Amino acid sequence: MKRLMLMMTLAAMLAFAGQAFAHTPLCDCFDNGDGTVTCEGGFSDGSSASGVKMSVKDGGGKVLLDGKMSEFSEFTFDKPEGEYNVYFDAGEGHIVEVKGADIVE
Amino acid sequence: MKKGLIAAFCLLAVMAMALPASAHFMMLYTPEIAKEKGGEMDFRIVFTHPAEAGHTMDIGGVQEFYALYQRGENKAKKIDLKNYLKEIDWSNPHSKGKGYEAMIPKKDVRSMGDYTFVFKPGYYFEKEEGIYMQQITKLVANVGGIPGNWAEPAGLPCEIVPLIKPYGLWTGNVFKGRVLSKGKPVANAEVEVEFLSHMPDMKANAMHEKSSVEYPHDAFVTQTIFSDAQGYITFGIPKAGWWGFAALGVGPDTEYKGKELSQDAVLWVKAVDMK
Repeated sequence: MKRLMLMMTLAAMLAFAGQAFAHTPLCDCFDNGDGTVTCEGGFSDGSSASGVKMSVKDGGGKVLLDGKMSEFSEFTFDKPEGEYNVYFDAGEGHIVEVKGADIVE
Repeated sequence: MKKGLIAAFCLLAVMAMALPASAHFMMLYTPEIAKEKGGEMDFRIVFTHPAEAGHTMDIGGVQEFYALYQRGENKAKKIDLKNYLKEIDWSNPHSKGKGYEAMIPKKDVRSMGDYTFVFKPGYYFEKEEGIYMQQITKLVANVGGIPGNWAEPAGLPCEIVPLIKPYGLWTGNVFKGRVLSKGKPVANAEVEVEFLSHMPDMKANAMHEKSSVEYPHDAFVTQTIFSDAQGYITFGIPKAGWWGFAALGVGPDTEYKGKELSQDAVLWVKAVDMK
């Protein structure tokens, strides 16, 4: 009986752990028209993206700047000259790439 | 005494039967509510009988039109949209009337998250019944897949709060919601349900003459359900498209200009076929 309970608990824990990874990372960015870009992020289950690592890289993959999502899951940076891409990095398998060319007003 | 009571009942029964078969619905329509990306949203707002593209009615102006925006766990934000409303002439096959259009620019609806649109009209006077009607209407849209406040009450005098994502419904899903008046559940509320069987034509500001549904009997045009003791309603969705729910006379205001007022709560949802 005890063993069954233990197994059930374990199964429940596993199920919950699975749930946590079932959400999809989402990120979208806008050109604010004043030389800055704002990215907004989140997850498909509504959980906050606060603290998620953000990086901006040039066309060759060189990191131009690093930062973090704010408490409101936002990240604003100065728009780089030339080609660039934005990476919302919530860990392995949870990375969203937003191409600079798709970031418009 | 007894005779008088019976006579009164008979009169009531006759009056009940005299009510039109199709229901009044404040239609708050925009073609897409599950949006991949933020962008401008075009609305058409008409008070009509959507299942039959029937009579269009004068709502006596607009009190409020706004959206409550929320992304994830952030605080909800109110976006006033009343300034975008423009009066238009709306044509149904057998009735012309005033309606509204509103082009919401991208800047107001660009972000991912939920947008609960709220339209609070003025008062419509129904001459046949000698009563006023006010249908406070909600429509929830989502951008980008990050959910927000779709299951939260908007704090309206009366409303239907959806308990299944109202912009992510499959055909065949069971819609579940809760009828509230001043934030409290309403038991045994009469809720009319209609299908938007004549799709709005955004260019012509008209409803198509052809119905997408053949109704075998009047009883199918307006389906009626009642909320349970805790105010919950459930409804299986049989067909893809737009479904309107109107909880009748559930609002706290019961009188306007010395006449009876039916303050109703309307919610629109959209179902999509699984492919």
